[in-house]
Amino acid sequence: MPRIDSATGVVVTLTTAVALAPTAAFAVDYMSADEAAKLMFPQADRFEVRTLTLDAAQLQQLQAAGVAPRSARWQVRVAQRDGTTLGYVVVDDVIGKFELISYAVGIGSDGAIRQVEVLSYRESHGHEIRLPAWRKQFVGKDASAPLRVGDDIANISGATLSCSHVTEGVRRIVAVIDLARHLGTLT
Amino acid sequence: MPRIRPTRSVVACTLATAMASAFAQAPTPTEAELARKLDQLAAELAAVKAQLAALQQQRAAQAQAPAASAPAATAAVPAATEPETPTAPATVFSGYAELNYNRPTKQTENTQADLRRFVLGLSHRFSPTTKMVGELEVEHGVSSASDPGEVALEQAYIEHQLGRTWGVRGGLFLIPIGLLNESHEPTAYYGVERNFVETAIIPTTWREGGVQLIGQYGNGITLQTGLSTGFDLSKWDATSTEGQESPLGSIHQEMALAKAHDLSVFGALNWRGIPGLLLGGGVFAGNATQGQTPTSSRVTLWDAHARWTPGRWDLSALYTRGTISNTAALNAPLVGNPSLIPSAFDGYYVQGAYKVWMQQDYALAPFVRWERFNTGKSYADLGPGLTPSPLPTETVWTAGANFQVTPGVVVKADYQWFSVNKDANRFNLGLGWAF
Repeated sequence: MPRIDSATGVVVTLTTAVALAPTAAFAVDYMSADEAAKLMFPQADRFEVRTLTLDAAQLQQLQAAGVAPRSARWQVRVAQRDGTTLGYVVVDDVIGKFELISYAVGIGSDGAIRQVEVLSYRESHGHEIRLPAWRKQFVGKDASAPLRVGDDIANISGATLSCSHVTEGVRRIVAVIDLARHLGTLT
Repeated sequence: MPRIRPTRSVVACTLATAMASAFAQAPTPTEAELARKLDQLAAELAAVKAQLAALQQQRAAQAQAPAASAPAATAAVPAATEPETPTAPATVFSGYAELNYNRPTKQTENTQADLRRFVLGLSHRFSPTTKMVGELEVEHGVSSASDPGEVALEQAYIEHQLGRTWGVRGGLFLIPIGLLNESHEPTAYYGVERNFVETAIIPTTWREGGVQLIGQYGNGITLQTGLSTGFDLSKWDATSTEGQESPLGSIHQEMALAKAHDLSVFGALNWRGIPGLLLGGGVFAGNATQGQTPTSSRVTLWDAHARWTPGRWDLSALYTRGTISNTAALNAPLVGNPSLIPSAFDGYYVQGAYKVWMQQDYALAPFVRWERFNTGKSYADLGPGLTPSPLPTETVWTAGANFQVTPGVVVKADYQWFSVNKDANRFNLGLGWAF
């Protein structure tokens, strides 16, 4: 079945590509941040955007936990339903090999990863990180997991840098949210 | 909401002004009521002003780069602001290098230290869908008339994205055969030296000039196909043993005034649908006499490969086979020379690596590789006494370790045992990086 679908896909895609070539820009953008948030928390009736600012001590705390904090400010979409927090969505960018990969991480109110979505991919190789099977490896893991390629996350041959950098980014976001949850700054 | 309110406030002001002038001309019994409404509008205007001020303040705060000294607090933002569009530089430099030390333990006089290659990469994005990729390589440290070095362009192509699935490349690009050719940075493979199968049989780093279509499907399949320049059999040097070391490596053209009478076709299919697993194969075929001889000979090379990286393991296997047709006619005038053109050559390897130790960025991965290859597996029949005997199949065991200093920097050490050319047994030490 997948082969038949693929063959049909070739014809359809080629036809579409030819027909839409002059207008089809940003072909590598797959979804927006808001779309990703709604996909991750479909039951949410509201996403409140909050800015989380970490102080020097908190940054050092992350560093000590083996996470390079990179930024002191994080924008977090807090998914809510009837005023109850369902979880958090953080959108971030990391460099793959040469280009930026935009991705979103959805984390439940328990701190466990609910979903990872790739929003934009611009590299020539390694687009396979978009495959659900690869992203599914993150689901259910929290700040206590190693979250490292070649450990609990399987690599994709030919996309080592993209895999490593996205995994590193997810680990950072999980650690930041974990810190904020414990500090109570997101409630 | 705040964006709508300023408009409402303007309307309110206009209304208020109009009403105020109306009261002045003709006061009515409803004056008190109107005055109350006016007060209401004024209050609403004040609220709008306050909200606007808050919004401006917030934006100003965002514009200021937050220092680590910023207070540990969160600010509730009343309106959803889209994350800024990510910006990456359009032009990016990259590079990789290998410095190798080889010590044949039975012929230590042949010990060598070599700056094997230093490669500078440059990519430039013209638009979100179009970019250039280039790689310039210097081999063996110095390139001059009296030095062994070489300067070469490994890649120089334009890539254009046609849609979500298909992209097209034009220029000088790497041929998608094997595991190593397209991913040949020292950090990407085990062992100081690249494996023999993918250098002697698949002539890594193998590139051709042409056009390539790349389809990347949501089910993990990557399809690559194209039309390109090919090999040139008129370059075959029967007096040298170069052709026995790598039959295709000795006749590749690398787009250096490449003879392009005959074009080649290629195709590759790789599947990465299960995390950690890669299954694939590729084929390349084309005439290689380039109109230089009355007969035409076709070079065909294909491979099948698998790589599985569950957890700390990294396991791979590959088989490749090449054939050259109509070699009898080409070999007849070369009889008596040490190297005739083989009609078939092949090789395969199995490799296993395991990351035994990891601490922060450090990682140590011992590996073992077993490979067998034959660069002259068969020769076309030239008659008794004239047909060369097939070359013996070489078996090489390589055991060693890759030590990652930090992602992108690797120190390697290994030992290689040869079953035929035992004098070549050697200890290798290498330093490599890629970014």
